[in-house]
Amino acid sequence: MISESARVTTAAEARFRIDAPNSRPRAVKVIALDGPSERVVKHLASREWGQASFFTASAFTAPAAAAPFSMDGWLTDLAGRTKSLIEEVESADLVVMIAASGENAQAAAIIGEACSIKSVMTTALVLGSEAQSEEGLSKSLAQLRPHAMMVVVASADEYIEDMLTALRA
Amino acid sequence: MLRAQQNELLTQTGPGTPMGQLFRSHWIPALLAEELPENECPPVRVKLLSERLLAFRDTDGRYGLIDEFCAHRGVSLWFGRNEHSGLRCPYHGWKYDVTGQCIEVPSEPVESGFCRKIKLKSYPLVLRGGVLWTYMGPPEQQPPLPEWEFATVPAGQSFMSKRWQESNWLQALEGGIDSSHVSFLHRSDLESDPLFKGAKGNQYNLNDAQPHFEVVESPGGLYIGARRNAENGHYYWRITQWVMPSFTMIPPRGDHPVHGHFWIPMDDENCWTWSFDYRPNRTLTEREVAVMRDGQGIHVKYIPGTFRPLANKDNDYLMDRTAQKAGKTFSGVEGFAMQDASLQESMGPIVDRTKENLVSTDNGIIMARHRLMRAAKALVEKGVIPPGVDPVHQRVRSASVILPPDQPFKDAAREHLLARPDTVHASV
Repeated sequence: MISESARVTTAAEARFRIDAPNSRPRAVKVIALDGPSERVVKHLASREWGQASFFTASAFTAPAAAAPFSMDGWLTDLAGRTKSLIEEVESADLVVMIAASGENAQAAAIIGEACSIKSVMTTALVLGSEAQSEEGLSKSLAQLRPHAMMVVVASADEYIEDMLTALRA
Repeated sequence: MLRAQQNELLTQTGPGTPMGQLFRSHWIPALLAEELPENECPPVRVKLLSERLLAFRDTDGRYGLIDEFCAHRGVSLWFGRNEHSGLRCPYHGWKYDVTGQCIEVPSEPVESGFCRKIKLKSYPLVLRGGVLWTYMGPPEQQPPLPEWEFATVPAGQSFMSKRWQESNWLQALEGGIDSSHVSFLHRSDLESDPLFKGAKGNQYNLNDAQPHFEVVESPGGLYIGARRNAENGHYYWRITQWVMPSFTMIPPRGDHPVHGHFWIPMDDENCWTWSFDYRPNRTLTEREVAVMRDGQGIHVKYIPGTFRPLANKDNDYLMDRTAQKAGKTFSGVEGFAMQDASLQESMGPIVDRTKENLVSTDNGIIMARHRLMRAAKALVEKGVIPPGVDPVHQRVRSASVILPPDQPFKDAAREHLLARPDTVHASV
């Protein structure tokens, strides 16, 4: 008699796999950490996405020196509105940080800290590594590595789009 | 998740398909040398990239890989007589040489030269490192012979096996670059399999089920680094090599041989899983070879006389629920290879990737798909030679190393990731 495994692993049986959604939309927050990556993120944002939203962390480069430390107000959406980092992270399933190789990615520290507090998964993408020196890439990686569970070094900007699609953003 | 069209692009490798063209740019393993052990031995049926072929070794020791079917009436030449420098169809005596050229049509006058008008499609078949390799692309674009380190070390330093896997090649490959499953599916075997146990790195693996990953593009494909905490603030890195289209090299453990795979499509619903073990600097011990032949490590036990695993879908992979419950195996299936294959085959012949839910730690898989699609597009539209064809891309190694926290693994382990003759591989 044919075994259960042999019977159910045919192409004919595969047609009976239930055709119903098996996941709910995921909220993915994509944050540009520097100027060059902000341009990439703006381009990405012009595409159609499910639950992805796009931000820039440019404000990190010039924090108000006299103000007491707070995680509020550290993000800007692409319309230029200030957003609360902690609120955005709290409503996220995944935070994706985009950094250009060799640029200052120090904003990753506070975003990573917020994700750690809220137990949200983090991914960091480093772009343009081919055009930059090894030293520049090393600097970016050193800033990102402590704050991301997954780090990807990609030579092509379009990888981000493929990744977000693959992750159902 | 992939769109249905992308899934078809990546999983279809027959003639005329973009991924088929990509595979046809590379030398791929076709047979073990031992399958054609002597001159005039029986021919062997081979199915590769959805083409039915026949391999034979003629009177003079030349290897041939030709269309399986006689040009006359379509008889399978597997029934042929391998004699006097050619393979003769037993039906009407038409005879072919290793290039597929017909050299005799007994019913026609020799003077007519009719046989010169008959030629079967053929591909080169060359012996290297105990493997017979073929190149199925345009002859004028045939690349240099393969230079994978396991295939270039002296005989006795490497061991190769192959097994029939009843699934599309891509879901098998994706298992090979998915480092995070080891801590679950294979956890019971790390400290019991004779080709894995005893390595210090196993403890780092077992103590940390949530490694951090880094995926970095390499000239031929990807470096996939998984890091776990080691002592004194250092990291234990396991660095897997993936070279296009389907070569993977698993990071070594302790003093064990280093190993890896090729996944080569037979057709779109079956593939050959090739598994190698080798030592760059010394011969394998008799004991190591004995346990490999016994189907341990990444190899399998076979149904005698075949390359079909003894544990297969027809016997439910010899599922042992008692062993699963007792923690002897995590899935109930024995051995690394069939633990992987049983789950990959359970997805169906070609998994529907429109239904999957990948997570961030699957970026190695996502990037591999991305690079394959880009390379296939560039090849089809612009004739760009894909990564992995250049022998430089093939002279690589996987590695397991301990590194300071501030060093990129790609740079810190740079020399360990390249094949260097007679030097030991980096392993923890």
